[in-house]
Amino acid sequence: MASNDQAEEVATYAAAVRAALSNLPTDQSEVLLEDLEDHLREVAAEAEGPLAERLGPPEQYAEELRTAYGAASAGGKRAEPAFRDLRRAIDWVTASAWYRQVRAFLPELRPAWWVLRAYLLVLAITVAFSPSYNIRPIPNPFSSRGVLEIIVMGIAIVISVRLGRRNRPLAKGRRALAIAGNILIALIAVPALASMGTSGTFAMVESGGSGQPIQGQQLYTPNGAVTNIYPYSRDGKPLTDVLLYDQDGRPLTLDSKTGDVTTDYPVGADGQPITNAYPLHQRHLSGDPVAAPRVALPPWHAQSPTVSPTPSPTTSPR
Amino acid sequence: MASYMNQAEVDPTQLLKGVLDLAVLAVLGEADSYGYDVVRRLRENGLDHVGDASVYGTLRRLYQAGALNSYVVPSEEGPHRKYYGLNNRGRKALDQSAQTWVSLSKALNHLLNGRSNGHGK
Repeated sequence: MASNDQAEEVATYAAAVRAALSNLPTDQSEVLLEDLEDHLREVAAEAEGPLAERLGPPEQYAEELRTAYGAASAGGKRAEPAFRDLRRAIDWVTASAWYRQVRAFLPELRPAWWVLRAYLLVLAITVAFSPSYNIRPIPNPFSSRGVLEIIVMGIAIVISVRLGRRNRPLAKGRRALAIAGNILIALIAVPALASMGTSGTFAMVESGGSGQPIQGQQLYTPNGAVTNIYPYSRDGKPLTDVLLYDQDGRPLTLDSKTGDVTTDYPVGADGQPITNAYPLHQRHLSGDPVAAPRVALPPWHAQSPTVSPTPSPTTSPR
Repeated sequence: MASYMNQAEVDPTQLLKGVLDLAVLAVLGEADSYGYDVVRRLRENGLDHVGDASVYGTLRRLYQAGALNSYVVPSEEGPHRKYYGLNNRGRKALDQSAQTWVSLSKALNHLLNGRSNGHGK
């Protein structure tokens, strides 16, 4: 109980000292206040009575600290009254036990960030240079592209970790630059990660593009060439990504160069387009998607007694 | 802030300020130490007016100036302690400051003795 009161007293006193030094440049105040709490705890543990009695008021302590350190005067600029409440709120948060726990824990996550930032950077660069490329959380090791990506990521991680482990403190300007760089990586990674979610299986390969054209059969019906197939389930629901094969087990692929439409094929995990998934995703040359046709579904016999037995109308109403 | 200017009497903390660097270097010259311990040892040696914060600020400044090395020692009970010790630069600074202090104090003692002798006769 006594130690709890003490911890609270230390936190309050430390917050007041920090507040008094709030107009110092952060690099200076960081150095000055680094182990303030540790020191206060030692004083509190040894001395009788309140901290302020032994050390004087926190403002005076702060001033003494600043003078001895030889930092720029804190006397000149007082915090604007408008910001004083904000400052007080921030001090209250930073003095709280959970904040200090989180704060103490964060440095342990540094190595994880060193690895992550290298990964994110390579990911972002990949997206930037090939927007249509099917980006995946882990590059496909069976494609030359994926192998290249893995190698580059490995190198980037090694460099990133070496940069992070360097324990020589950076000069002021460089430090700011490094922080800005880290934030930038985190920011540009957001769109890269977002695009990863949407194009997991549907990064499209354009048939008319520079890649090799999809070779397919020309299917004819008495009404003309078949350009797409729209499968429906028995109860009339349109199906998507239905894989069709012919009598010999070969993928049934339609010639994609028919008419004034272009076809987008989904890309499989092996990087190859899947050409027999129906209905095909087709677009007019204007870019508008080709609308599905209206179909007349056949009336099935209402049998299927095993699946859903119709409730008997003869049930007693009582 | 600097209201001392108006006072005729010399504030002991003001006097101490000029030599605090030397005092801290001297303490660390005996043995590596952490902030609170430095304060304690200074007080044990009779520097009662030394403030905790002044010692801390001085330690930080000397460290930033490259006169000290620093390492963290985990303690069984209580917080980890940041120890400071003299490096070559710090030792050199201690030697030079000590010489300066000796000559300065000699001169000052001489002045004060002369005054008290003069008045005493």
